[in-house]
Amino acid sequence: MKILEIKNVHKIYNSSEVKVHAVNGVSLDFEKGEFAAIVGPSGSGKTTLLNMIGGLDTPSDGEIIVDQTNLAGLKSSALIDFRMRNIGFVFQSYNLIPVLTAKENVEFIMSLQKWNKKERDDRTFELLKAVGLEDRINSRPSKLSGGQQQRVAVARALASKPKFVLADEPTANLDSKSTETLLDIMEQLNKEEGITFIFSTHDARVVKKARRVITLEDGKVISDERKN
Amino acid sequence: MNNLKLAWRNLWRNRRRTLITSASIFFAVFFALFMRSLQLGSYDHMYKNAIESYTGYIQVQHKDFWEEKIVDNTFPYDRQLEQRILADANVTATIPRFESFALASNGPQTKGVMVMGVDPEKEEHLSKVTDKMVKYKLSAASIELIKQDSNLPEKIKELAPLFENSTYTTASRLQLDLGISDKDAGQWMPAIEQYSRFDNGHIEMGEPGVWVGEKLSSYLKLGIGDTIVLISQGYHATTAAGKYEIKGIVKLPLPDIDNKIVYLPLDICQGLYNAEGNLTSLALAVKDNKDRAIAGTVERIGGLVSGEKRVMEWREMNDVMVSQMDADDKGGQIMLGILYLVIAFGIFGTVLMLTAERKREFGVLVAIGMQKKKLSSVITLEMLLIGMLGLLAGVIVATILILYGVNHPLIFKGEMALMFEEYGMEPQFAFWTIDIYYISQILIVLAMVLLAIVYPLRKIFTMKVVNALRA
Repeated sequence: MKILEIKNVHKIYNSSEVKVHAVNGVSLDFEKGEFAAIVGPSGSGKTTLLNMIGGLDTPSDGEIIVDQTNLAGLKSSALIDFRMRNIGFVFQSYNLIPVLTAKENVEFIMSLQKWNKKERDDRTFELLKAVGLEDRINSRPSKLSGGQQQRVAVARALASKPKFVLADEPTANLDSKSTETLLDIMEQLNKEEGITFIFSTHDARVVKKARRVITLEDGKVISDERKN
Repeated sequence: MNNLKLAWRNLWRNRRRTLITSASIFFAVFFALFMRSLQLGSYDHMYKNAIESYTGYIQVQHKDFWEEKIVDNTFPYDRQLEQRILADANVTATIPRFESFALASNGPQTKGVMVMGVDPEKEEHLSKVTDKMVKYKLSAASIELIKQDSNLPEKIKELAPLFENSTYTTASRLQLDLGISDKDAGQWMPAIEQYSRFDNGHIEMGEPGVWVGEKLSSYLKLGIGDTIVLISQGYHATTAAGKYEIKGIVKLPLPDIDNKIVYLPLDICQGLYNAEGNLTSLALAVKDNKDRAIAGTVERIGGLVSGEKRVMEWREMNDVMVSQMDADDKGGQIMLGILYLVIAFGIFGTVLMLTAERKREFGVLVAIGMQKKKLSSVITLEMLLIGMLGLLAGVIVATILILYGVNHPLIFKGEMALMFEEYGMEPQFAFWTIDIYYISQILIVLAMVLLAIVYPLRKIFTMKVVNALRA
């Protein structure tokens, strides 16, 4: 079952007189439950592609269809709402809300979706337990290590049961032990919840865990390998 | 997580900045309210002094008297008209007066004075001259008695000579000059009051005798029982001259009037100017002195008087003072404007920093699904909370001090008091109670905060999430 279709997507930046073709005719499909990594050197267009998939940026040409919805057809507030319900984000520098506790960060999106308190509490506890932070639910981000913060970010991304999670270099700021723990958690959640994970990464450890590796170079897909 | 809770938490993520911004709003509100109260209170006090010591709120005059204050511009005391005026719902009493100028002398000392012919009983309805009689005087003799009293502390004995020849209409003012606290007043004041007591006599209709202003009496070196000589021009260019015994000394709050006033019984004054039965003005005591009530009364009384007479209200009669107060008021408002401008920049600086610092956070929130409208309402609440913190603190502290000040005006003494008197002002700072000016100051601060909010809101609504995430 296709949950994401990328059809001949281009992204061109016009900075002064130089035209930069950041993404150049990328076409990809993603099935439910994939654990995929987009790799490539710096400037290859990984983050740009991820931003467009997440509806944070708009393609210059081409279409991105999430679960049969063309993102280009959504107006600004509808797109925000669509992201909230269908796409989870994990950022390189965690980007948790500093004034909220781990629990509050995770349940934040559920509050925006107006889940009732019991549903929120149950889901939050379930996710924080899954990422191994059930004993830190009342800690604010400043009291957590980088690895712990990124685990909270993963729990937050999964909170509203999105169609897929986009993780932009999620391990870039983590040490090897935290990276390993995080990847194990994400792999386990991918299997248990059936949620698709799409990473952009340089990290060989992420690539090793991924079941599909897409390589970008100069904005083009140069390989798309699936592992058994 | 509701908006208010999130806004409140955000407020304290940079505690120092929130406190500094709130403090700047607090000081702006506090000073604005406090200074405005002081300004309005002082105006009111001066207006009241002028009105109640001299003009009254409304006067019926000869139509030409105000422009040319000569005794020829007088009108006959019409008792029927007086009764019709008294029938007005807002008029509580009529006070007939005969006012003119004369040259006063005592020995070699001479001075131009204002002669006010009054009915002492009726005058109690308006100027209450008897309340303003000098009741205590620290004469050389009374200071000597204070010094000799072994029960009085040395501090009082040292202070008393500094106020030699000072006069007082109340014991509390005397107490203040001698530095006696309210706690000690019961112990020391009875003796001091006894030593410094100043006894005045009365003036009565039909009996020659005068009350003179304290400053005038000092200038002419006149005391109770002395004689003052008045010479002027009477009705239709007759000569007006007379000599009168000083029956009492009054101390009026307006130094400009205090140094030239001579009160005579109305009929004696009319006789002096050969204008028997005539008045220069019929002042009215009113029940409701608010502007609207006064304007209504003036209109109604205007319908009763005819021909040679006109009705004037206190603003016309105190036009110089009103202009001075208006100019001072404008100056005060400009100062407040500058104060608010400084604070507005402070608030805007905070908003600018807050927006720049949290650009990425705004991007993240919108990326994960927070609508820009909701984010804007959180930021608006944050700024309103900062504003309300400063505003409420300012209003509370100012209110406490203003309410205290309303009941305990600041009274200056010594050199400071003299300085005020040299400028023709009573050495006192009065406060104006809580009034409509509170609302305007509060609205100004709220408007500044709301104006400052426009910046982050604009940033949020025009924000490109992908750019914000790179910040």
